[in-house]
Amino acid sequence: MTVLDDLLLFTALASVAIIALRRFASISKFSVVVYALATVLLIKMSALGYGGEPVYSSFTVNVLGQILQWRFDALSWFFALITLVSALLAAFFMSGAWGEKYCKEHSKEAYGLLQVALILNVLSMLVLLASGDLLSLFIGWELVSWASFMMMALNPDKLARKAAIKYIVYAMAGAMAFLMAIAMTYNMTGSLDYVQVMQGMAHLSNSQIALLVSLYVMGFGIKMGVIPFHLWQAAAYAETPGAGAVFMGAISARMGLYALLVVIVQIIGLTRVAAIEIPYTFLDMQNVLAWVGALTTIIPTYIALKQNDARHLLAWHGVGQGGYMLLGVMISDSIGTAGGIMHVFNHATYQAALFMTVTAVIYRTGTSNFSKLGGLVTQMPLTFMVMVVSIIGLAGIPPMNGFVSKWLIYRALLLDGQPLLFVAAVIGTLGTILSVYKLVHNTFLGQLRLEHQEVREAPLSMLIPMLGLAIIIFATGVMPGVVLDWVAAAQIAVGIAPVEHNLGGIELVQGGLDMIWVTGIMFYGFAVGAIIFYVLGGKSKHIHQYDNYAGGHFLTSKVRYHYSNHFYAGLMHMIGGWYRNVFIKLEHALVSLVSFMSQFSENFYRSSQPVMLVAVVVVLALYFVLGSSGGAEVSAGVSLGGFNQ
Amino acid sequence: MSKLGNIPVNAQDGKKRTNPLAGVFDELVQFCQSRSMFMLHYCTGCGAIELPPAMTSRFDMERLGIQPMVTPRQADILLVTGYVSVKTLKRVILTYEQMQSPKYVIGICSCTVNGGMYWQSYATAKVLNEYLPVDVYIAGCMPRPEAVIEGMRRLMRNIEDGKGNAWKDYFQRYDYYLGNQQHLFGNDWQTPTDIIGEARHYGLESEETYGEHTKILEQHQQPLEPYKMRIKL
Repeated sequence: MTVLDDLLLFTALASVAIIALRRFASISKFSVVVYALATVLLIKMSALGYGGEPVYSSFTVNVLGQILQWRFDALSWFFALITLVSALLAAFFMSGAWGEKYCKEHSKEAYGLLQVALILNVLSMLVLLASGDLLSLFIGWELVSWASFMMMALNPDKLARKAAIKYIVYAMAGAMAFLMAIAMTYNMTGSLDYVQVMQGMAHLSNSQIALLVSLYVMGFGIKMGVIPFHLWQAAAYAETPGAGAVFMGAISARMGLYALLVVIVQIIGLTRVAAIEIPYTFLDMQNVLAWVGALTTIIPTYIALKQNDARHLLAWHGVGQGGYMLLGVMISDSIGTAGGIMHVFNHATYQAALFMTVTAVIYRTGTSNFSKLGGLVTQMPLTFMVMVVSIIGLAGIPPMNGFVSKWLIYRALLLDGQPLLFVAAVIGTLGTILSVYKLVHNTFLGQLRLEHQEVREAPLSMLIPMLGLAIIIFATGVMPGVVLDWVAAAQIAVGIAPVEHNLGGIELVQGGLDMIWVTGIMFYGFAVGAIIFYVLGGKSKHIHQYDNYAGGHFLTSKVRYHYSNHFYAGLMHMIGGWYRNVFIKLEHALVSLVSFMSQFSENFYRSSQPVMLVAVVVVLALYFVLGSSGGAEVSAGVSLGGFNQ
Repeated sequence: MSKLGNIPVNAQDGKKRTNPLAGVFDELVQFCQSRSMFMLHYCTGCGAIELPPAMTSRFDMERLGIQPMVTPRQADILLVTGYVSVKTLKRVILTYEQMQSPKYVIGICSCTVNGGMYWQSYATAKVLNEYLPVDVYIAGCMPRPEAVIEGMRRLMRNIEDGKGNAWKDYFQRYDYYLGNQQHLFGNDWQTPTDIIGEARHYGLESEETYGEHTKILEQHQQPLEPYKMRIKL
């Protein structure tokens, strides 16, 4: 029994136990203990995170002469750490007051199902991350898809159900593409084992590689929600019940990136991908994928800017940040890949924290609609603080951790000589900064509504994971070396030169990054400002929110001065014309094409016109016979040989 | 109607400082103040149309250090650029009270001086300085940009000479201004600001700060306590 056996068995047994115990009140405490123990088991394998040898599971299955096996390497360990810690925090988050309210609003059964969905998600993700060959990767992939579907389908709301159905349609399309790619890989290389496939890939022609890469990227891209498959994700994640959304937003879509790292980066190799020229253009396949990543940072981020609901805004950002990860990985040098992989960790921390704050606001006020919120900073100061820390991370501003990974990606783009991609990434960041400001302004700043004057701070069971995440965001921002150790090990695991780093950041001849210095200087500046303001000045005066300037208006509870409707009117005046719902129209067109074809075939089967059917069959048969004899195809000639004579 | 002579252009208390360095320092502060003026133009009447040429490249007010500002909290000058109806006057007063001291008021056009062509109207306030302490009036219907800039320069000279102290008068004789305001708007008139508290803050209370009108105000004024940050789990 290896530690990996222990971990997988423990999680599987725990899921069975949680399914059995889901109706008991103590299930929430029990699940917290489960995730904590699983995390301890994972930490036992922490040698992986510092360049240890892969841990194999002793359980194998023999299928068609192929050995299905499960193992953990540094990359799996890195993703598994994020998965388990976010599950632990989500379980803690819903173990207290939030869970009680959820029981009251829905039912005990629904709460139990949420716990079941969470543990099944964790289990399936661990199985996916532990996969040692393409077939076990596919098994894990399907498990994750259906476990996510279970989580999304828990919300009885009509919109949420629709989003979940949309998700599973997309996910199945992706899975089919993935399965087809696996079958073709098996056909071309004669194996499913990573090492043997990797050797087999060397003999394939560029057109074969191009086909495989397109199919794989379609499969993984749908899970990641890259352009043009980005439409399903935001609604599905946003409508998931609060604590579930915390977990899903943090890690779920990143499974696509994991599979992409394993298959495209490790097995096929980015040099092969870069060798594929796109005809009639000056681009190669790697450029195309980098541009897909860049567009994924821009388009969903600017869709997020237009959202009027905090959860949807965050979920759209989840899609957009996935683009940064893809972009970073596709730069293919050590700094860019490090940025892409590190962004997974950073994104998980602040996205979980942000979903927690929004869920806490919903818990206290009952809504996440921007036009019904505002001014909550006096009532929920700690939640506000966590949100501020996390949006600084999300926007990529020092000293939080999001800055480090985005800096790495930018730096790699500049060193690689990609000014256009760099500009695209900067445009994406601009959209992020604008919309996170919208988020914090419309929820916590501005005027407090009359009905929210008695709102209290979020309960302790929700505050503890939130504050914990805020500390992680800050600490890994000041000392990114902690995470970069794991990232470097993961880079070695996928066959890329590890990034040169120290505790404070990156060592680079062309100018590195030391976050300890950056943070030190920032806080020195804050201290100087604070001394000037509080010690030498000290003449600040607190005023009531109605003593505010609104063009001379007298503000009352009836005339609110909280600008939340049609936020960024000036910006929208300039860029509003670009929102043309192209992808939604494309999706609608596809849907109507499919339904048209299904109606056609349905009518064809239902119609009781034997003459027409016979005529069609005869025409087809004649075409087949004449065509085969005329074309002299060997196979057709053999199969129809008897008929011809 | 009050007389124009009521405008207290020189309300210094007459004390002379003995330390010569303090005088130098005061002059330096006044010099700097007079050369960084942010104005909030409350464009009420037709006089506003003379401001764009005054501000833009032809007459270019900014070379004097005067530029527009969007909120009263950061503004130094309140420009009232034409007739003020009773309804508008309420807004002008609120905006003035929200400005940080030291603050200056400039009345542009004859309408602010004596009602101008609206002197017969039942709906306009005739003399601005009955309701607000006005530093400088710029008469004319309308005054040309040269005149506007001349008025601004006059205000700058006043500030530099230490004479631009009309804002102190609002705190020192608050009862007088409040009385005129109540006369126009009714006894239940109040703004969300706290002038008496501010007068205490600046140390500008005098006997005339309080009076019968402030008593009326106290009777119906509901104090607006700022929300406190609180952590109540």
